[in-house]
Amino acid sequence: MTEHTVKSYGEELNHLTAEVTRMGGLAEAQVADAIECIARRDAGLAQSVVGRDERLDTLQVEIERKAFRLIALRQPMAVDLRHAVAALKISMNLERCGDLAKNIGKRALILNDAEPMSALTRSIERMGRLVQGRLKDVLDAYTASDVQRAISVWSSDEEVDEHYNSIFRELLTYMMGDPRTINACTHLLFVAKNLERIGDHATNIAENIHFELTGEEIISQRPKLDVIAQ
Amino acid sequence: MPTVSPPSPVAPDRWGGPLAGAWAGAWTAIAGGPVALVAMTALGAAQPGVALPAAVLLGGGGIFLLRRLRRLIEDASLVAAPAAAIAARAPPFAVILENLPEPLMVIAAEEADDLTGRRFVFANAAARERFRIRESALLVTAVRSPQVLEAVDESLFGGVERTVEWTGVGSQGRDWTAHARPLGRDDRGSQLALLVLRDETDVRRSERTRADFLANASHELRTPLASLSGFIETLRGHAKEDPGARDKFLGIMQAQAERMSRLIDDLMSLSRIELNEHIAPAGRVDLAMAAQDVIDALAPQARDKQVSFDAILPPRGSAVVEGDRDQIVQVVQNLVDNAIKYTPKDGVVRVEIFPGLTPATAVAPRDPSAARLSLLTPDHSESESLFAGLRVGDKGPGIAREHLPRLTERFYRVEGQKSGDRSGTGLGLAIVKHIVNRHRGGLHVESTQGEGATFGVYLPMAKTLPDKDLATVDGAGPGGVVKLS
Repeated sequence: MTEHTVKSYGEELNHLTAEVTRMGGLAEAQVADAIECIARRDAGLAQSVVGRDERLDTLQVEIERKAFRLIALRQPMAVDLRHAVAALKISMNLERCGDLAKNIGKRALILNDAEPMSALTRSIERMGRLVQGRLKDVLDAYTASDVQRAISVWSSDEEVDEHYNSIFRELLTYMMGDPRTINACTHLLFVAKNLERIGDHATNIAENIHFELTGEEIISQRPKLDVIAQ
Repeated sequence: MPTVSPPSPVAPDRWGGPLAGAWAGAWTAIAGGPVALVAMTALGAAQPGVALPAAVLLGGGGIFLLRRLRRLIEDASLVAAPAAAIAARAPPFAVILENLPEPLMVIAAEEADDLTGRRFVFANAAARERFRIRESALLVTAVRSPQVLEAVDESLFGGVERTVEWTGVGSQGRDWTAHARPLGRDDRGSQLALLVLRDETDVRRSERTRADFLANASHELRTPLASLSGFIETLRGHAKEDPGARDKFLGIMQAQAERMSRLIDDLMSLSRIELNEHIAPAGRVDLAMAAQDVIDALAPQARDKQVSFDAILPPRGSAVVEGDRDQIVQVVQNLVDNAIKYTPKDGVVRVEIFPGLTPATAVAPRDPSAARLSLLTPDHSESESLFAGLRVGDKGPGIAREHLPRLTERFYRVEGQKSGDRSGTGLGLAIVKHIVNRHRGGLHVESTQGEGATFGVYLPMAKTLPDKDLATVDGAGPGGVVKLS
């Protein structure tokens, strides 16, 4: 990026990125804690995940306001405009990740009343770590302005789908085997779905980064596993 | 007393000119106690203006401390002669801080409201390397963890010390303890804080591993143990006078005891690998030679099952990876052993090695129609390293898609699948995964039901030195190469 004549303009842009990164850190922590409270049956942690979601919402509103302000007052062009718009879009995706993590926290509270099903929660945990890693990678790509890294996150979404598919079948087997587990298993199914959605948001963020840095959409077809068809 | 040397105002390499006050403050926070007082005493003698704010940082008893400092300065001047001799030889503070093995950073901020305006004014070599900190970068570009950011904020604007724990994400995620300490203001009016990270990965890993080991061992050993004591009871009771039954039972008991001992071996080996998983191996291993050794070693077993090998190995020295030989052999052995187990009579086990793969070709599927899953993906690395790939394929029944994600789980068995004898411990693939992770490599599986499964491992190749470097090591010629190999 070329130097801006007015220094504070460049600084304003940088701070927007920094603010999105900070929000990303918060979303990452929310997702990590959400997985943790499912795996460890930690009610206290689940409650704090639910409680902390508000901060993400506030941050998102703030970023939105700053981005609008920047667009309105500075009238950025080309890469600067993409920069501001990417901040806007990424913060929206992160906010959704936070909502999904909060939802997992709520389900963890309900699951604590049921019998522990460690085989299933282990699978969920494994899928969660995978999704968490993707979110980390995509945020690293954002802070480092690394297109290649963003593309590698974008093209590896299939793995999450495989895990989701596997958990789906596992849950079905459990529910058919013992109808008393249907309640808990349904919650776990939603937890897995939420994780899968968080993975999708990471993919979206990767697309936003690609557009921000190159000015082009990623055109090739993303490998996608059709879960429902199977 | 090597610390009496005044801190050098010259920053190491490209880190501009951070303030002497920050140096002194940073140093006092690390050294603590009497050493710090002496350091500040010397500092006060040299630069009284800087020492004052630094002294205030030490806590509530600022005034008391100042008085004591003054007294210490007077005392120090009495012993100044020998101390000065040592000081002349002591490296400046900047060099000491730069070379500390623990990441250490000084962060500056102007306004409390501007949450993202925290910048690094100093980061030592360990911090720069670990967190890829660029010059005068914003704090959030290196550290995103909300707990750590909060701790830094409280030090900057609340003036309190905070210690938080923080675990990194990734294949070799590290556990950190972060200490944030306030450092007061610099002469431009920015608030300063010190952030020191301590790597606690070893400690927490060993705690976790011990807990896992106990849980696994007690759970998995219970079944064979119960069966053993059952047979002993029978042998002492009903079967006492029945030689036929006695022989049969003793045979089963021996098999169970052997299984228990294999289980313990595997669990121990898994624990050992897990403990060192975050430390990259140092040696070099020729993957092709390791594979040949394993094939030779397992030949009798394959002959017993009437299974043959189809090995495609590159020439010696072309697939050298960074690794620990014993562990690499264990990876190949576990994979080939599994393949033999699942291959039917007169079948073929295929072992192939491909050197010089790029990250993209290393993960490329061989059979697009097969179910495929990556079981382990290495963390993204900055340097574009090449990989050497190993593929071990069997012609067994294959593995159904829904079982793939759980393959590396400890003691996981694919239901409804006959593995012939149940001689495995259920830890083989878990061991493979952890070893490969330690080697910063990847692991994937491809399977078509009814046609067999193929496991693929890829490991970073050892860096080869360019020819010219080999030739001109201080003009030593080929002799200089010896120590490099």
